[in-house]
Amino acid sequence: MKKFITYFLLYIIFCTLQFFFGKYINICGVFPNFILILIVYLGLTRGVVSAEIAGFLFGLTWDVFSTDIFGMRAVIFTIVGYLTGMMNKHFDKDSPLAKIVIVLSANLVYWFGFSFIYWVLPASESSSSSFITAQAAFKILVTVLIAPIIFFILDRLELFVRGDT
Amino acid sequence: MHESHKTRYGNIIFIALLTFGFALIIGRATPYVSIIKDLVYYIAYPNVAVANKIFHTTGRFADNIKSMVFLYQENLAYEQKNQELEDKIRNYNIISKEYDNLSKLLNLEKIKYTKSVFARISAREPGEWYQWLIIDKGENADLRKDLPVVIFNKSKNTLCAMGKILEVYKSSAKVALITNSIYELPVEIKDKGINCLAEGFDSNLIKITYIPSGSDVKSGDEIVVSELSSVFPKGIPVGVIKEVMEETYIDFKTARAEVYFESDVIYDAVILVPCESV
Repeated sequence: MKKFITYFLLYIIFCTLQFFFGKYINICGVFPNFILILIVYLGLTRGVVSAEIAGFLFGLTWDVFSTDIFGMRAVIFTIVGYLTGMMNKHFDKDSPLAKIVIVLSANLVYWFGFSFIYWVLPASESSSSSFITAQAAFKILVTVLIAPIIFFILDRLELFVRGDT
Repeated sequence: MHESHKTRYGNIIFIALLTFGFALIIGRATPYVSIIKDLVYYIAYPNVAVANKIFHTTGRFADNIKSMVFLYQENLAYEQKNQELEDKIRNYNIISKEYDNLSKLLNLEKIKYTKSVFARISAREPGEWYQWLIIDKGENADLRKDLPVVIFNKSKNTLCAMGKILEVYKSSAKVALITNSIYELPVEIKDKGINCLAEGFDSNLIKITYIPSGSDVKSGDEIVVSELSSVFPKGIPVGVIKEVMEETYIDFKTARAEVYFESDVIYDAVILVPCESV
């Protein structure tokens, strides 16, 4: 029950942060992908199942709020969750560099996945082109830089939930 | 073994989720989702009038919170003031009891207590400007005939004599001003102890009569109510002497004085009603 409540709260907090606070906390108009960071974190700490389910639910929610192809983010986040979950045994989870590398890889998967789906299904329903551009590269950079801070906060939160301070 | 099961379980879920996700993409569900989203927005979003009302209410709510905070602070200040006044009343009651006992023991005449009734001036005839006025309090405020009417003079920061009640009705009363020619008020020259009489002149000046011819009365002397007055308490300021007449009549001289109550615009009057205790 405690686990479920924690997941639910994380879902609410990250959705609010991602969808409603973009105009308040951005760097030169670029807003980091908090949901992607959370999925990577879940993949590294909780494993495949948690990460892919969380990825799917977050993706579906984002699809509802966006005007892009419906189901696209659900698929990409599921893949990101699955891959990070599969990799969690092959990396030193406490190493900040490893985390940065994984977040960078996850970002690349996310953007390449995005571009691939738009390439396969031409953007007749889309409002903007989403191939990797300079702006996307800057977004990846911002997300990668902010990831250690989010990881630190989530680590603290997990310790707090467990009761170890 | 357990890890292998977990991985297989993860793979199955992954394939299921991917299949579902691709089904959504291939099924081109975007227009339907958009319709549902628009419908939800249409139902959930308020119209312009309601949104306006919400914003106004929010603004009012913030203002109310602010005024609540101010009121709370004001209330605290008043509570403190109230406490101080309560202390003063308690001390006053003790002193009053002591005074009653002493005056009984020494056979002293007791001070007459008065309570102040504030009234608005509801009518004043231009043709009889210096003779009468009507106030908005009467029998329902315990007013009766011959009660003294005073006014707060802002420049002197004290109560000044204005007149006395002549007729009382249920919720109004007629006040005869001290400037009325039918009015005579025993007065004295302040700090000189010279008793004389103030007579109305139907103007803003009053005539001071019965001034002993040898007395040192000059322009600028202040006139106050003397203790001979049966209407006003002693010492209430009346006016200031403007001119002293040189001619004498049977060892008395006269003077003209300007009344204080006409120096400001009059809106309110205070009626001093005698009472047993405060």
